[in-house]
Amino acid sequence: MPFSINDKLPLPPVGAEKKNVTCEFCIVGCGYTAYKWPKGTSGTPKRNALGVDFTQQQPALSGVWASEQMVNTVRDRDGKEYNVMVIPDANCVVNQGQNSARGGAMAATLYNKSSFTRDRLLDPQVYAGNNLARTTWEDARDLTARVLKKIIDDDGPDQVAFKAFDHGGGGGGYENTWGTGKLFFKAIQTRSAAIHNRPAYNSEVHATREMGIGELNTGYYDTELSDTLFVIGANPYETQTNLYLMHWAKNLQGATVAAKKKEFEKGETAEAARIIFVDPRRTVSVVNAIDLAGKERVLHLRIKPGTDVTLMNALFTYILEQGWEAKDFIRKHTENFEKTAKANKTSLSDAAKITGLKAEEIKKAAEWMAKPKKSGHRPRTAIFYEKGVIWGIKNYENIASIVNVAILTQSVGRVGTGVCRLGGHQEGYVRPAPPKGMPGRQNLVVVDAEAAQGNYLAFFAWGCNPFVDSIMGERLATSFKRRSDIVKSAMSRNIGADNETMADAIYRACKYDGGLFFIDVDIYPTFKSEVAHVSFPAATTMEMNLTSMNGERRVRLSEKVVDAPGTSKPDCLIAAEIANALKALYEKEGNKEMAKRFEGFDWKSEEDAFKDGFAGQGAKMDSQGGPTGTLATYDLLRANGNNGVQNPIVKVSNGKLVGTRRLYTDNKFGTKSGKAMFQPTPQPPIPKQVANQMKKYEFWVTSGRLNEVWQSNYHTSRLPMPSTRWPIAPVQINPADAKAKGIRSGDLVMLYNDYGSVRGVAYVTEETRKGELFMAFGFPNSPVNNIVTDFVDPDTKIPFYKGTAASLRKIGRVEDIADSMSFKNRV
Amino acid sequence: MKEESTTRRGFLKGMAGMTAAVAASPALMASGNPEKENFYGYDEKVVGLASKIKSAGSIDFNYPDNDSPCKAVMVNGQIKAYSLLCTHKGCPIVYNADKRAFRCPCHFSEFDAELDGQMIIGQATENIPEILVRVDGDKIIAYGVNGLIYGRESNLKG
Repeated sequence: MPFSINDKLPLPPVGAEKKNVTCEFCIVGCGYTAYKWPKGTSGTPKRNALGVDFTQQQPALSGVWASEQMVNTVRDRDGKEYNVMVIPDANCVVNQGQNSARGGAMAATLYNKSSFTRDRLLDPQVYAGNNLARTTWEDARDLTARVLKKIIDDDGPDQVAFKAFDHGGGGGGYENTWGTGKLFFKAIQTRSAAIHNRPAYNSEVHATREMGIGELNTGYYDTELSDTLFVIGANPYETQTNLYLMHWAKNLQGATVAAKKKEFEKGETAEAARIIFVDPRRTVSVVNAIDLAGKERVLHLRIKPGTDVTLMNALFTYILEQGWEAKDFIRKHTENFEKTAKANKTSLSDAAKITGLKAEEIKKAAEWMAKPKKSGHRPRTAIFYEKGVIWGIKNYENIASIVNVAILTQSVGRVGTGVCRLGGHQEGYVRPAPPKGMPGRQNLVVVDAEAAQGNYLAFFAWGCNPFVDSIMGERLATSFKRRSDIVKSAMSRNIGADNETMADAIYRACKYDGGLFFIDVDIYPTFKSEVAHVSFPAATTMEMNLTSMNGERRVRLSEKVVDAPGTSKPDCLIAAEIANALKALYEKEGNKEMAKRFEGFDWKSEEDAFKDGFAGQGAKMDSQGGPTGTLATYDLLRANGNNGVQNPIVKVSNGKLVGTRRLYTDNKFGTKSGKAMFQPTPQPPIPKQVANQMKKYEFWVTSGRLNEVWQSNYHTSRLPMPSTRWPIAPVQINPADAKAKGIRSGDLVMLYNDYGSVRGVAYVTEETRKGELFMAFGFPNSPVNNIVTDFVDPDTKIPFYKGTAASLRKIGRVEDIADSMSFKNRV
Repeated sequence: MKEESTTRRGFLKGMAGMTAAVAASPALMASGNPEKENFYGYDEKVVGLASKIKSAGSIDFNYPDNDSPCKAVMVNGQIKAYSLLCTHKGCPIVYNADKRAFRCPCHFSEFDAELDGQMIIGQATENIPEILVRVDGDKIIAYGVNGLIYGRESNLKG
């Protein structure tokens, strides 16, 4: 507990400082209100800043309430202590006063020396002796810059690799993607780049973009108006919670019929929505949807893993055979139709054999998606996909086959439709490209694998954990550790050296002895800190002003509430520190040309980075703000509050930013011709590496998120509730398999294959089928990616994280783990 | 292990009602005398009969006041009692005796009655508050609450 008291909370007094905060966790980006007031002052139950009379019990649903996790005590850099309360904002259209288990604990994530966040990184560190030792910014940036300069001058900038966030929300945001992107691409000019959760620098949705449809093209309000929601490879109750609970739930319960009547055509049938899930697992999302809509309105296609393309092709074929395709739209606004229809032709019976589904089920899904409604109107179908297919058997075809069906049924641009990724984190991309551009998607370098094989002289792990969130995690960690130790030895031999001598020793260890200079930028120490030679402490949500957009392109300014811990800084300003240190070194040696490359980092605050990036570049750079992003300012965004503005911004009207509810309403798509492009998508074979594991090992293994755990578990492994609920990653095992193996819930188990091994705790459940295991993703103390192969889609370099094979071994029982977490069925 | 946990949290409870200034000082919490248990401010209240729980499986009651519905259930031969207001948005949670768990019909949070109200799945940020009870003869006596009840800034109103 951040607050150490569990039956009474302090209340903000009237006049307490009030700020808008966007949730730092998932893509939905719920709005929150933060109150801050000096410790020692307090509102009363009757008179407080919340305007709530706490002498009365607050009502269910509409009540305003702070749980213990929503309150904390912080110490600012002025030395004074403050209470902070962060509660969901009832006026935000996204979440309408509701929190998820993740966002509701944002106050608890704040740095508090007396709580479980006490190990936040406070100052830069350098490796000295046997560990990382705290040091000054001047020292850390000087040493880093000296090593980088030697590499850039003698070996070229591509020998400096970086792996970093490219997203919004906590550990991201437009300010920080711009700052880091400008440092690496414009100043250092490396092309050796990888994104935080994958081994190369690529999009997860190349296919849909090349077909002319941006991946976030609808709005959450539109999903309240859909006739059919089609969800493939996603589990939104756990990973996009308030989209599911505040928008879809209403639609599934029929609470939005009146709104439908208003928005639909005259005489068009308007009823409660139906929902289709395509998922090998019986997920919490499926079970809760049955509660919301009744089982007649929920269809769960429990597909055989890796066969999604066949299903989509069969849906495409059947819809076409029935004449339910959007004929006029296809003729006027699409291309490549005939060729795709021919190439993708798949019969229901063939599809049933391959996918393990019944032909009747596939037929029913096609009917819900495309059969004309009672009134004769085309159903309004919204199609959603996420990591189950993005990280599936072959990224490109998986996505393209889904978008094909969306184009076929005109499930884009119309009220109540869309074909969108559901998203993980929020978005926040604005970056320059490196001077010669990045290679095409088929020629991208798989940077993490290259580094493991000995390439590169320096490696930045910036706001991410490569040993948890990359391919073949165990091999990667072993290799990085070996290469890091070579540098550490060199540093230990030079204790007492000045930075130039030390930089030279580091450089030689990398260049001639196979070492790798490792720079860590993060908010907490992690396993990767153990391989770091220099570390910089970053600030995150509520510690800086931060702009991001959510899954419906809604941009908000999440305001700074507290000072960042110690001397930590926003990532954009850390990038500036490093750039300015390099500039100074080049100036000192009179190299004006190189010094010039490192100009443009004289930022005093994150707002300067925002003005330079999102608001400064417009169409000049790859920016989610597009050409009209330049209209945005912090003041205007602040005025729009937690409702922000949906990209692209259209105009400023009466001091308010006006945006775009839904894309492609004019049927102009993002291809050269302006037409949406169908793509032939044959069923991809199982990759060789995965097939080899399947031959040798007993179980199919897939992975995914848990409701209570976020990203690499950096905050959530510290928070009392999620860390007690999930001390290590659970391995879901079907009761039949558990019985055969003599395993019961709570046993420690090991999964192993040719790539590595990982331990988890057995959770016996019907969520998974016989022969299929599911392990939670993102746990640094039990990373399932240890057993993921090195396969990446050759067309996009996106891994097949969701599919590997392994055998299962029982280790034994640690009573503390077995007794402290519930093993009751979640579905 | 669970025993220790109750004792520790019980101690914190004892400190809870003292003053707002103490409440806002986590450091003070850690340095007190953990042996002293004192559920400050809570009245003891007979909430039902143990024999009735044994025959009916559960009993409903209100504690610490009439606006706070609670349920006592028998799990693993022990009487456990919990607040019935979901710590997410305050909806009344429903007990499933077969599963020995509570489920919220509004947003599907679920809490384990056998594990101090731990959230099995759901959107609350807290486990369900446990009502501390002891048995005296056939009488079940409530004497404190472990965790903040939904919709309150203090379990003891006013």
